[in-house]
Amino acid sequence: MRFLRCVHAEWLLVRPRLARTRFGALLILLGATLVWLHSRGLDPLAVALHAGALGAVVGAAFAAGNDADRTALATALTHPTTPLAIASGRWLAAVIPAAALTIACTIATGWHTGAAAAGAVAAGAVGGCALIAVLVAGNGAAVALFLFMAVAGAMAPERLVGLADPGVARLAAASALELGPALWHYRDVATGDAGAILHAVAWAGLGVITASGLVARRRRLS
Amino acid sequence: MTDYALTLHDVSCAFQRAPAGHGLAGVSLALLPGEIAGVVGPARAGKSTLLQVASGSMTPVTGEARVCGVPVSRPSVRRLLGYARESPSFPPALTVREVLDYYARLHAAGGEHGRRGLVHEALDLAGLTAASALRVAALGRPDLQRLALAQAALGGRRVLLLDETLSGLDAVARRDLCGRIARLAATGVAVLIAARDLAALERVAGRVLVLRAGRIVRAGLLAALLAERVLEVILDAPPPEPPPGFRVTATGVETPLAGRTVEAALALCRAHRLAVRASRVRVKSLGEVVLETHDAAAR
Repeated sequence: MRFLRCVHAEWLLVRPRLARTRFGALLILLGATLVWLHSRGLDPLAVALHAGALGAVVGAAFAAGNDADRTALATALTHPTTPLAIASGRWLAAVIPAAALTIACTIATGWHTGAAAAGAVAAGAVGGCALIAVLVAGNGAAVALFLFMAVAGAMAPERLVGLADPGVARLAAASALELGPALWHYRDVATGDAGAILHAVAWAGLGVITASGLVARRRRLS
Repeated sequence: MTDYALTLHDVSCAFQRAPAGHGLAGVSLALLPGEIAGVVGPARAGKSTLLQVASGSMTPVTGEARVCGVPVSRPSVRRLLGYARESPSFPPALTVREVLDYYARLHAAGGEHGRRGLVHEALDLAGLTAASALRVAALGRPDLQRLALAQAALGGRRVLLLDETLSGLDAVARRDLCGRIARLAATGVAVLIAARDLAALERVAGRVLVLRAGRIVRAGLLAALLAERVLEVILDAPPPEPPPGFRVTATGVETPLAGRTVEAALALCRAHRLAVRASRVRVKSLGEVVLETHDAAAR
């Protein structure tokens, strides 16, 4: 019960951030851009996946990427809470607005339950990965992850393997797309693929658990 | 048996990749409920490290810290002990009230009413009621320090660790914050303050610990440490050489009386042909005590 109360306290921080920072405006801009791209031929599933994934990266940046926010984690840990509760709450704060954006985009592009589910699942997985990235390296990492997801995230690794040298870079990129929370994985969520869902659940869980370890480290580092 | 609010017993710790001597070496202290103690010393003496160990943020290599008899490693201690870090940082997009409401949610089991009570109490205690609607990003240093005090005291904690909370403030803000800390201590809260601002400590602390290279080199009641009298002698011209035991100041010379009479010290000045214009006796400042202790330990 106390754990849930602490998670809830973290999640509630999302409201002032949406209203008073650029978080809300960026989500609206992202949604508008994706809907515009849909009008230019981007398929609705890709719109939903990008809305979820990119929204989660932006959400993680505003939930924990700011230097002051990261430093403030140490202060929060002097109160009766736990690193896991903080990480879970921040993950929710990143993922729920992204999932809401996904639903809004799916409505705008013609409702499809599978696409909305795929987008929400992508948000959960990418949110976990983004939370780790911003806790380690701040908002610079969020920008890099955003660009990776926007440009390469939807590409299947097989397409990279067919490209020319340099081989090591190609292999690294293909591996990242194979193992990481890349969007091509989560296209299959729309058709109910259990492997894709498990992949996303694993990334979300790994993200929250690793983030909780990073939050715990903040207590000692500050 | 005395019920101490905070005890540190033979605490030692060292930082990796830090020069030898950094950290703490065999530090012990005990703080009674309602007591205000100050930790002073030069930079890297171990003041912040001492507070980090006492807060449980850092695990000592040897020894242990307890709050109201409970080891600080226990999660339940976070309800008893509040800690204001040296450079307080809070979510910048939130207002002062929202920041305290966030922390209060982590404490309050009494629902909405209990939480609002905690926030109101903390705002009142730190004198932040008028600034409660301001965003953290817009706060100046005095208000940030107040917010650090408010969050540390929130939830009726029994021990407060304040790391430089009194430093860098103007005289009015410092006096106000000292008064608030003293009132808090009067309710039975034990307060340990690390401070570079010795004038602020003189105003509020009852006991002082002087740290050097991770060791307590001097400790005692502030009144006892400052009991020694100093004779200041104002001269018409700077002395070519001060009499033995005197040191040159901007206006003349001065010496600790240390059992001598004022007349004997002035006679020594005259014997050295110093043109004495005026003299006065004052008590030592905490700064002088710290410097003397530091120099004696260095020798």
